[in-house]
Amino acid sequence: MTAIIQARGLVRSFGALRAVDGVDFDVTEGEVFGLLGPNGAGKTSTIRMISCVLPVTEGSLLVDGLDVRFYDREVKSRLGVVGQDNNLDEDLTVAKNLEVYARYFGVPRTAARSRIAEGLHLMQLTDRAGARIDELSGGMKRRLVVARALVSEPRILILDEPTTGLDPQARHLVWRKLRLLRERGVTIVLTTHYMDEAEQLCDRLMIMDRGATLARGEPRRLIEEHVGRDVLELHLTRAQRPATLAYLERAVGESGRIEEIEDVVYAFGARAEHAHAVEGIVGDAYRVLFRRANLEDVFLTLTGRALVE
Amino acid sequence: MTTGESAAPVAALRRREWGVIPWLGIALPRRRSLAVWRRNRDVFFQLWRTELVPPLLEPIIMFFALGLGLGTYVRLTGDVEYIAFLGPGVLASVPMLAAIFESVWGAYFRLDRHGTYEAILATPTRPEEVIAGEILWAATRGALNATMIFVVMLAMTPAYGLVRSPLAVLTIPATFGMGMLFAGMGLSYISRARSVSQLNYFFSLVIFPMFWFSGGFFPLDGLPGWAGTAAWFTPLFHAVELNRDLLTGDAGWATLGHAAWLAVVAVPSCWAGLWFLRRRLVH
Repeated sequence: MTAIIQARGLVRSFGALRAVDGVDFDVTEGEVFGLLGPNGAGKTSTIRMISCVLPVTEGSLLVDGLDVRFYDREVKSRLGVVGQDNNLDEDLTVAKNLEVYARYFGVPRTAARSRIAEGLHLMQLTDRAGARIDELSGGMKRRLVVARALVSEPRILILDEPTTGLDPQARHLVWRKLRLLRERGVTIVLTTHYMDEAEQLCDRLMIMDRGATLARGEPRRLIEEHVGRDVLELHLTRAQRPATLAYLERAVGESGRIEEIEDVVYAFGARAEHAHAVEGIVGDAYRVLFRRANLEDVFLTLTGRALVE
Repeated sequence: MTTGESAAPVAALRRREWGVIPWLGIALPRRRSLAVWRRNRDVFFQLWRTELVPPLLEPIIMFFALGLGLGTYVRLTGDVEYIAFLGPGVLASVPMLAAIFESVWGAYFRLDRHGTYEAILATPTRPEEVIAGEILWAATRGALNATMIFVVMLAMTPAYGLVRSPLAVLTIPATFGMGMLFAGMGLSYISRARSVSQLNYFFSLVIFPMFWFSGGFFPLDGLPGWAGTAAWFTPLFHAVELNRDLLTGDAGWATLGHAAWLAVVAVPSCWAGLWFLRRRLVH
């Protein structure tokens, strides 16, 4: 397994602010690697450095063995980039968008023509080839941006919040397409602040907050390491709190961990019998949620804050 | 700008590659610039119905309104008809507006609103090539515009004697050069602009005075001496005079002087466009 992207001590400063503050990571060829974190975590700055559009302040960053500081053209020719905004060319039709974009990569005209047809087919946009951009739905625009990023046949696809703002159906369609691309051997790096997206797509991920790495690894592994298998989540009134907390301290305090974050109580490592007991104490089953732990819980335990405010 | 922001782009240029000139702060744009030029061309021809008619109509209206309407009441020294005096002025100032509009309004929207440049910069096309493509395109717009005006002038020549020398065809490449000069200025300006309303300042304070006071619409002799001196420092004055000499065939050393003035100023202007807008693009 070779690292197709390798970052060591990566720093990006904006004046006094260190948006990315000494981050290390490796992306293995062929995997889907996620950067998970809230707004301002440094995810976008990190991938903009990978895409050679934001200069690196300190540290080293290699893409396919090439230093991004010196080989911008070579690195960019290996990447397909899907930015946070759909910066499609509104003045051009769907197919023309791809044709014009292929020229920026210097793709020969005949090769471009077949790739455009293929890309539109892959993203289920063939019947919209002649449409204007403002006639497309949000999901279609997003898929078109992905198709555009594929026109250079990149080895690495970089996506900044690929499904933010899409409805659930459109999100699932984008996810399916990304999984299909991974099967074809494309390495994918994406940022997200949706834990379900990270769980759905990522082979490995790095949780970031305020420019630093909080944790790294496979999603299931991270959850098990940091929060255990299950969580008891309690939305209690002030009156219900003392008795419940006292019980939890006794029952779960040893093996698990109890955290009060704002008005919610979490008992990590709780088991089903604890949930039943708490229901008895609270007397209101709606306030008691026993569920599988997820990445949101990992982030909560690491920072004491929610991922999406 | 913070030190982090200004220091980093220089590091990005340190690689030894053909065309990277650290002391100029830019890499020389290369062939990829044409991809950007072609993008603008494609958009232009997609919208040709709306893009082509105004530049054809405007000069016709100007020649009729100013040349024939107002011109009836204008007596110039010598036996020059006012419409013949106006020809070189229209042929320089209207294409100037075309190049400036493209590199100010058009480019600002591509920079700030539509994310066009952001999308291009994710490809192997460099910032300098985006900018050079814009400069070339703005100059092309200017030259296209000049060509249309030239055709109108040719059509009016039997009646009004607007084109009197074969040298006149050189006004088209001259307009291309002038367009590059103005595009460099326009792109430098938008690199500092933070809102659309700031663009108006450029037009009110720079372009409009130059448009009227470059000797294209009336001889500058009638104005105080300092106005003529000030005009000498504006590119449009030299473009008008260059056109006048080429249209009448009365070309000499002074003609070359005007061409040289434009060429000498165009180089730093294009460099400024590359340097300033590069800073805005790489951040």
